[in-house]
Amino acid sequence: MNLFGMMDISASALQAERVRAEVVAANMANAETTRTADGGPYRRQHVVFQTAGGDGFASSLLANSGSFSGSAMSGAEASESGLSSGFGSPAASGGVEVAAVLSDRSAPLERYDPQHPDAGPDGYVAYPDINPLTEMVDLMGATRSYGLNATAVQAEKNMVTSSLEILK
Amino acid sequence: MQVTTATSDALQKYLDLTSDQMKLTAENMANVDTPGYRTQGIDFAHEFSQALGTSASTETTVKPSDVGGLTARPDGNNVSMDREGMQLAKTQLEFRAGVSLLRSQFTRVMDAIHADK
Repeated sequence: MNLFGMMDISASALQAERVRAEVVAANMANAETTRTADGGPYRRQHVVFQTAGGDGFASSLLANSGSFSGSAMSGAEASESGLSSGFGSPAASGGVEVAAVLSDRSAPLERYDPQHPDAGPDGYVAYPDINPLTEMVDLMGATRSYGLNATAVQAEKNMVTSSLEILK
Repeated sequence: MQVTTATSDALQKYLDLTSDQMKLTAENMANVDTPGYRTQGIDFAHEFSQALGTSASTETTVKPSDVGGLTARPDGNNVSMDREGMQLAKTQLEFRAGVSLLRSQFTRVMDAIHADK
């Protein structure tokens, strides 16, 4: 009976939801960013989740080294790329991991403003197409999932504590 | 002298099974946002009766299967937060009940050891 393995699964979910919340925060912070290091406006990012460890619970007992594929971040500021610091640790088999952080490939929003320093020859400035309502709903979802898994960690801690009572 | 009783062997298997159930619940909760994920579950009563049938030392691996009767969201995920929350609370209580019963078994043996005082 591997009680501590359960906590690894819930911990992987907490980490993944935190990455999701950070990506949402980056999107909201850069909603009006017209210039980036790569040139062009900021592109909206979103995370892709996947189950870690292939078959999940039924797979081998050894923890899978769920290394995350390289993030496809383009043009994010150095402060925003703190997202990459959370990657690289193996996710518990059966838990969740961030498969990739993808940039939105849709066309940017064009606004007519010839006075703007980043305006193109036609007078249009390219803004990122970020809808704050979408981002807020995503953040709410991430918060709820985080709370759910934090409750699971509490329950698991409770079980481990109660199993220690056998010794008394 | 035998310190373990038949009941404590059965309780050992019960605790193993409830912790497997707990692990599955944790896995379902962790994957609540994963596209295409199907809720995994085990038939507790069936697995327990099977485990009781085998001898004490054999390690039986539990095979989780898809849980039916859940509606899938547009991204293919069919994990229900409410069901998993209920399962979490239930399994936790089952585990603690098992631990209490196991403790009472050992307390009885200890009482028998101290009986001459």
